[in-house]
This record gives sequence, structure tokens and C-alpha cells, in this order.
Amino acid sequence: MKVKTIAGALPLGVLWGLPLMAALVLGVVRGVDADAWRALFEHPQLWPALWLSLFTGIAATGLSLLCTLIILAGLYRTRLWNALQPMAAAGLALPHLAFAIGFAFLVAPSGLLARLAVGGTQPPQWSTIQDPWGLALIAALVLKEIPFLLVTGWSALSRGDQAAHLDGQCRAAASLGHGTGSAWLRIVQPQLLSHLRWPLVIVFVYGSTVVDKALVLGPTQPPTLSLVIWNDLNDAETATNLRGLAGAFFMSLALGLMLAASGLMKTFMARLARPLLSAGPSLASAPKRVAAILGGGVVLLSGVVTLLLAVLSVSPRWPYPAIWPPVTGTKAWLSLFATPAPLWTSLALAATTAVVAVLVAIIWFETQDPSRDRYLLVPALFSLAIPQLVIGGGQYGLFLTLGLVGTPTGLFIAHFTPVMAYVAIVLAGPWRGFDNRYMAAARALSSTPLRNVLRIKLPMLKAPLLTAAAVGFGVSMVQFVPAQLAAAGRYSTLPMEAVTLTSGGNRSLTAAYALALAIPPLIVFLAAGLLGRPRWR
Amino acid sequence: MTPKLSRRGFTGLAASLPFIGMAKADEGWSAIEKEASGQTVYFNAWAGSPQINDYIFWAGLELKAQHGITLEHVKLSDTAEAVRRVRDEVTAGKADGSADLIWINGENFRTMKRERLLFGPFAEDLPNFALVDVDGKPTTRVDFAEATEGLESPWGMAQLTFFGDFANVEEPPLSMMELLERARVNPGTITYPAPPDFHGTTFLKQVLAETMTDRSMLAVSVTKEEFVEASAPLFGFLDKLHEHLWREGKQFPPTQAQMTQMLADNELLLSLTFNPNEPANLVANGMLPQSTIAWQHDIGTIGNTHFLAIPINARAKAAAQVTANFLLSPKAQGRKANLKIWGDPTVLDLDKLTPADQALFDTTSTPGALLDPAPTIPEPHGSWVPLIEAAWLERYGA
Repeated sequence: MKVKTIAGALPLGVLWGLPLMAALVLGVVRGVDADAWRALFEHPQLWPALWLSLFTGIAATGLSLLCTLIILAGLYRTRLWNALQPMAAAGLALPHLAFAIGFAFLVAPSGLLARLAVGGTQPPQWSTIQDPWGLALIAALVLKEIPFLLVTGWSALSRGDQAAHLDGQCRAAASLGHGTGSAWLRIVQPQLLSHLRWPLVIVFVYGSTVVDKALVLGPTQPPTLSLVIWNDLNDAETATNLRGLAGAFFMSLALGLMLAASGLMKTFMARLARPLLSAGPSLASAPKRVAAILGGGVVLLSGVVTLLLAVLSVSPRWPYPAIWPPVTGTKAWLSLFATPAPLWTSLALAATTAVVAVLVAIIWFETQDPSRDRYLLVPALFSLAIPQLVIGGGQYGLFLTLGLVGTPTGLFIAHFTPVMAYVAIVLAGPWRGFDNRYMAAARALSSTPLRNVLRIKLPMLKAPLLTAAAVGFGVSMVQFVPAQLAAAGRYSTLPMEAVTLTSGGNRSLTAAYALALAIPPLIVFLAAGLLGRPRWR
Repeated sequence: MTPKLSRRGFTGLAASLPFIGMAKADEGWSAIEKEASGQTVYFNAWAGSPQINDYIFWAGLELKAQHGITLEHVKLSDTAEAVRRVRDEVTAGKADGSADLIWINGENFRTMKRERLLFGPFAEDLPNFALVDVDGKPTTRVDFAEATEGLESPWGMAQLTFFGDFANVEEPPLSMMELLERARVNPGTITYPAPPDFHGTTFLKQVLAETMTDRSMLAVSVTKEEFVEASAPLFGFLDKLHEHLWREGKQFPPTQAQMTQMLADNELLLSLTFNPNEPANLVANGMLPQSTIAWQHDIGTIGNTHFLAIPINARAKAAAQVTANFLLSPKAQGRKANLKIWGDPTVLDLDKLTPADQALFDTTSTPGALLDPAPTIPEPHGSWVPLIEAAWLERYGA
């Protein structure tokens, strides 16, 4: 048993745990600088920027959770349920930055909506993007996070064993006089929420720390704290870099406090909700209509944004108030395909890291006691909660010492670190929630443990496994900061090309790269959705 | 002129006929060329523009054919990335660095020079340096008030330039006062990028230069106390300007690129750039309309030079020098200055070139070209920049 435990933890430790820990230590060491902290607290934008970051993070998390719950409640046990996964996966595949660019062109004062609704020769003086409260940023975050939460929620509820279980419980509730809404609220939702806990943490951390999206849609005076930090870290002066690092730690601390507070809130809310959950049957029906409107809205907006990106990618110039670009051309796409190497590098990395991460996760889950999962999940969440520049910086320091800078190994680890974290978080709930009576039954039929896992557990957990792999693939496809540091100019990936070109502001080229970044994950997500369907439905 | 030219011609020959006796400098150079052959130069250069990337790709083909050098463009979104990388490598004792040549100027150069991260001096020993217009373009040897001391080789010229659509700005504002007037007449259509964006900071320097009483102060180091007094007119002007700006001066676009996009979308009247030929290039590439015009302020605008530097831990120092020299050649500079290719103004003195080399520079004007160049105002001393940025942030940052 002991040997098995150690052996099972080995791949994860070597490929992920050790490099991550070393990177964190190095990152933290670099972040200890009294002068930098003093300078940070003298920064006039620190507090307003922090509030803005927390506000965007909380609002985006709350709204996306609310919408997700309504959509899932409305569609649960309907014919549309299985169409949900591929649809949401499609929305998930579009990178955040790509979505932000298309969304900005939709809602900006000089954007398509204003052209249709207002017209005239001059754009209206709207504050629809870069508004001082960060509302445009929140809206774009919510629209992108709903698909993520839908996919994770869907795969939790559609898992072979759980689906059958919940189905039975809902039938029982119906026979006791519960309406569909009542059954959802009292049976399905509490179980769902426990699965969504970690994904929600990711949503919150991402929403509070995002840089690229905030640059396109967020306010500037003050900007969100992540942009203040980002500016500092991008400076050539070491002192300013150190202030940025101090800022990154400060931000991580603030986020940690928020998460701790939300943990307390959860316990408190659960107590408040208990009477409601245990109340007798009610006829409340599922919010099908609201769900349809919300779901339809998200699909529609994502579709419009994607179409807009496609049009933008072939229009070098599209001035207000034209409804259609005056000239079109394929120059942007030609320049993308003129250098295909970064695309291949990205695809190869994404496929390898996703597959390896899922394998390593399975080995971990199958060899470790569930109580030990915190040694995986806490660092995983921590690694995602810390601004990428800190991890990337520490990792780079490590690679420099080990001579891994500019090597395929370095590049692999730089991609693998976040991919592994996401895969572990997405997979932990479904895997640990698996009803072990199936395995007990199999054991009783005197089958070998390995055979049981391969023949029973894996097929039943097919949906979450494929989802996790697809999420890993998608995460790898958009890695930028640590990857770029590790590559040191020796390798280029698609996001590196995209980010450098974005710095020049050529919108048609950016749109083309954004779509090129979206298409591979889209295919993978759709494939995962189709292959992951329960066979017995 | 003649000796310089013959030396250039001679070095060309020297590569193929190594036995002929030669001056010591030439001997040194041909040794460098010989060593360079077969090396790979990792050229770290900002890559936000496909035109620039295409130009660097072309240079790579030429270098391969002429010198057997492989040029790899390491695409940066911010040059400070390369500065930090070299610093980290040197700190870690890594002698075989990842960068061989960096496109650089200003704060990044000052930092690398101060921290002794640069190889050299090499720049003024490059054979083609003799063609540089060091007298007419003094910024080719002084980078943001910092002497280059041969640690970087001039590559191209830059000067703050404004541009917009003639249909909307028939009479472009030729001073900050006229810009304020224009903002009053067309509220919400004028803005500038938020500092510390490079262009935003430059806009503030321009306001400073136009509003301060004694402009000679800009050339020297400034104390905090002196700055408060000298910058009073700058902030007095901004206080008046901001209420008429886009979003009433409460929000600013984060980058110049975004501002140019907003101009292209008709959301703004004008944008600004450091490359006087960028507007013409954007017209040629279809991003801006044919009716685009470019202008500079009457009194002159902030101008500087951008350079190529070799990190102290570069692996291919010889090939990096040959590359820098090639990029200074009339052929490379002429192509770079072409409005349809890149449009980056040359650092060379055309009068020093042979007629055949002069013909490499296409001087025909195209739509969007700057018609009436104004004098260059040199960059203020480096000590001004952090003070301007901090004071701006304090006043308008939150």
C-alpha cells in the first residue's frame, strides 16, 4: 500500500509538484523587498485599483453562477440537456482575449450596435467599453465563464453513476409532489454546488486578475490592479519590477482573504438555507423560460462575436458608421499561414500536456486516499490564484539554474503546470464523487482492480475525463507568460505570435489569430462532447 | 567622402580576396565577417507590425545570401522583456545568452548601459557607420540625452507626429494651444494614451516642451523641487484640456495602437505616432483612408533615434555586428524607408551616398505622408520621465 502510494504520487510530484514548489519559492524570494512594498503602498492607484479588481471578480463570479444555475435548472432532464455540452464547449473554446476583441467591436461607441442603433457620421459618446466601473469587462467575463461553469456542471450531473442516481431521486421527488423546480432546488442544486466550488474559485481568481481582457475592455483611471502590476512588471527598471512583484503578492493575499471569507459565507448560507431545503413539496416548476432566454442570449452573443471576429479578420478598415467593411482582403490570414511553425508547436504542446495531465491525475486519484487530495488541489488552486507573472518568473529562475531555458523540456513544463492544475480541479469532483458501490460490486465479482478501473470506472467517467482533457488542451493553447519566458525566443507558439501582433493594434490580424487560437480547442471540445455522451441515453 | 566610400568598397572585396594587404581596421572587420559566417543571430525586436516583421524576414534572406548568417527574429511585444532576460541570464552567470541583437532605445538602453549589460563599443567601428548623419541627426549618438558611446548602432529615426483624416481635420492643430481649441470645438474626439505608455509619456513631454518657459532645462538632470515649478504650466494646460477630451479626460486609451484603431473607426479625430511615415504606411496597408494627413507641431516635436545593441553575453557577437552593419547599408536603409514597406526614416546622410546608392531611396510621396517636417526637439534628460509619470498618476490616476 505504502509503495503504491509513493509510486502513484511520483509522476505528479516530478512533473508538476517539484517544479511548481521551486518556482513558487524562487518567486517569493524575489518578491521580498521592503523598498518595493513601501513603493507599492505609495502608489496612488493601489486601493482604487484593488477594489475595482475585487468588484469585477465578485460580480463576474456571482452573475455567471446565477445564470449557470438558472440555465441548468431549466434544461435539466429535458431533451435539450445533451445539446448543452457541445454548445457550451463551443463557447468555452473561444479564448478570452478573442472574445474581448469581438465583444468590444460589438458594444463600443463606434461598434456595430451603435452603428445599427444610432448611425450618423460620429459615434455616440457612450461609455460602453472602458467604463469606470468595469461593467463591460464584467459582462465579457460572465459571457465567457457561463460556458465554463455549464461544462463543469453538466459533466458533474451527467456522469454515468450520478446521472442515474439523480434521475431516480428526482422521480421519487416528483412522486412526492415536488414540481420540477422544487426537485432541482432541493436535490440537484446542492449536489451541483459542491462540484462547482473549485471551478468558481478559478472564475473568481481569473476575473480579478485578468490582464489582456482588461486592457481591451476595462477602465484605465484607475485600471484594475492586475494592469497596475502588469505595467510595473513590464518596466525595464528593476526597482519598478520589484514593486510589481510586491503588488502581485499583495493581490494574491487579498484574493486569499476573499476566498477564506467566502468559505465562511458558504457555511453560514448553508445554515440559512437548511429550512428551505428540507421544506415540504412545492409545485415550483423549473425556470424553463428564463433558462431559454438566458441560454439563447449567451449562444446568440457568442455566435455574433465569433462572426464579427471572422468579418474583422478580413477587413483591414471598417470605419463608423459602415455596417459592412468597405474593403475586404485575406492579407491577415495569408500572413498567419506564412509562418505555420508556431501553430504546430502549440498543437503538439496542447495535445501532449492534456493527455499527460489526465493520465497523471488518474494515477494520483487511483493511488491516493481522498483525504490526500488537498495536497494536490490546494497547490493547484494556489498556482492559479497567483498572477502568472510570479509563477512564470520563479519558474524561469529555476529553468535558468537547471539549463532548461529555451529547451523543449522547459517549454513542456511551462505549459504542463497550469494544465495539470486545471485538469486536477476539473476532475477531482467527478472522480471522488464516483459511487464506489459499482467498484465494490465489481470486486465482489472477483475482477482485478486494474480491470475494474479500465472497464467500469473509466467508461462511466468518460464525460468528465474528456472534458478535463479538453479543458487542459484549451488551457495549453492560450499559455503566454510563463511559456514565453521559458522559450526565451527559441520557440514560438501561436499565443506568443498573437500577443506580439496585438501590441501593434492591427485588428484584422489580431482577429485572425484569435480565431486560429479558438478553432483547435473548439474541435477538441466538440469531440469531447460527442464522445462523452452517455451511451444509454 | 571618398576615403569612406573606398573603404566600404574595399571591405566588400576583402571578403572574397583575403590575401590583399589592407588597413588594420579593415583587417579587423574582415576577421569579424569571417567569424560571423555560419552563426545564428537571435534578433530580439518588437514585432507588433507585420510590415516590420516582413522587413526583418527580408533582411534575414539577404544576410544568409551575403554573409552566411542565419537571422532569427525573436518577436517581442515589449523590448523590456529582452532587457530583463539578459539581466537575469547575466545574474545567473549564463555566458551563452539567448539574445544576440536587440532593437532598443531610451530607458531600455539607459538601463542596460548603466547595468553594464552591453557589448562594445562596436557601433562606430562598423564600416557603414561612416555614412550616418551624425551632424544633421545628433540623436544618432545621443539616445534620450544619454551618450551612446558606441554601445548601440543607429537604425532609424523617430519623431512625434500626429495624423487624422483630412475630411475631419482640414486645418490640423499645429500647437498644443490649437489642440486645446480643437478639443473645445469637438469635445470628446481627442485624447492621448495613458502614461506610462511610451506615446502617452511622449505627449506629456511635448506639452512640457511647448508650455515651459525655459526649454533648455530639459537637457539636464532635474530635481524634484525644480520639477514642481517647471511642470506647473504642463499641469495647468492638462487641467484645461482634460474636460474636453474623450470621456472628459476621465479615461484614456491604454495604448497608441488602440488610439489609432479608434481613429480608424471614426471615434477620434486624430492619433499620434513616433514614426512620421506610419500614417502613410497604414494608408498603403488599407487601415486608414487615402485622405489621411500627417503633421507635426510648428515649434517642433520630440524626436529620437532607435538603435541596435548587442548584449554582453551574446553568443554570436561577430554575426550581430555584421547584421547591424548590414542594416545600416544603403540597400537596407533604403528599403526600410520605403513608405510601402516600412517607412522608417533613415539615419544615413544621403549626401554621403553615391548616386547609385541614393537611388535606393524612393522619395515619391504617397497619401498620408508627412508633408511639412518640423524641427526635432531632443528627448528630455532621463530624470524627467519618472517625475512626469508619477505626477500625472498622482493627479489623474484615480
